[in-house]
Amino acid sequence: MFERFTEDARAAVVAAQAEAAALHHGWIGTEHLLLGVLATGGDGARLLAGFGVDAAAVRDDVVRTVGRGEEDIDPQALATLGIDLDAVRERVERAFGPGALSRRGRCGSRAMPFCARAKKALELTLREAIALGARDLRSEHLVLGLLREGDGVAARILAARGVTLDAVRSRVAGQDAA
Amino acid sequence: MAAQETRDLAGAVDSTDPEVGLAAVAALRTLVERLEALHVANARERGWSWQEIGGALGVSKQAVHRKHGRRRRLLG
Repeated sequence: MFERFTEDARAAVVAAQAEAAALHHGWIGTEHLLLGVLATGGDGARLLAGFGVDAAAVRDDVVRTVGRGEEDIDPQALATLGIDLDAVRERVERAFGPGALSRRGRCGSRAMPFCARAKKALELTLREAIALGARDLRSEHLVLGLLREGDGVAARILAARGVTLDAVRSRVAGQDAA
Repeated sequence: MAAQETRDLAGAVDSTDPEVGLAAVAALRTLVERLEALHVANARERGWSWQEIGGALGVSKQAVHRKHGRRRRLLG
């Protein structure tokens, strides 16, 4: 699915995993894809900046809506035994990917930690890009996919911030026509 | 890590304060549970039987299946 993604769009999906890990969320939902787009600073982030939406504001929204996962292994308690939790985490994540040591998430599997809505949003991203006749799949199309999905945390956050599918689509269509 | 913090932690290693010792045990147990879940899932993905996994962990296949057998449902 990711073959036609531009570097920006790929980076956004990778950043989504880092965002999920930083929030101690053991899953990747639409909220993390949205944060990934914003954190990457590509065309999707620029598009959303035009609506006054930035990473910090959305991160606050996500924490308010979903909460943070608990960082429930106490690193200081392990340090009293001479165990460096960061070192353990680093090794485990090198083998099993970001967030591997975090509490198991609410959806997806370790191998494919995307929630159903996030997967749906990725499919819709592809469909939107095709419908607009885009040659590449940019992070702007990810924003469209997240809006089209409609039900996820990302879509709700964007709606609450006044970002509508039609407005975004017409801006992205302008880019694809150019 | 700040020097003071390092000294505090070094001091805690030989502490007989139950609070320190028990907190360390609790944290270690959580870490072990996480690692176990991760490696059991990995073994299953690679086609290991519950018997083999139980053997490697030193517990019965029933015990390991009871603990890890339930597959997580995919949610929205």
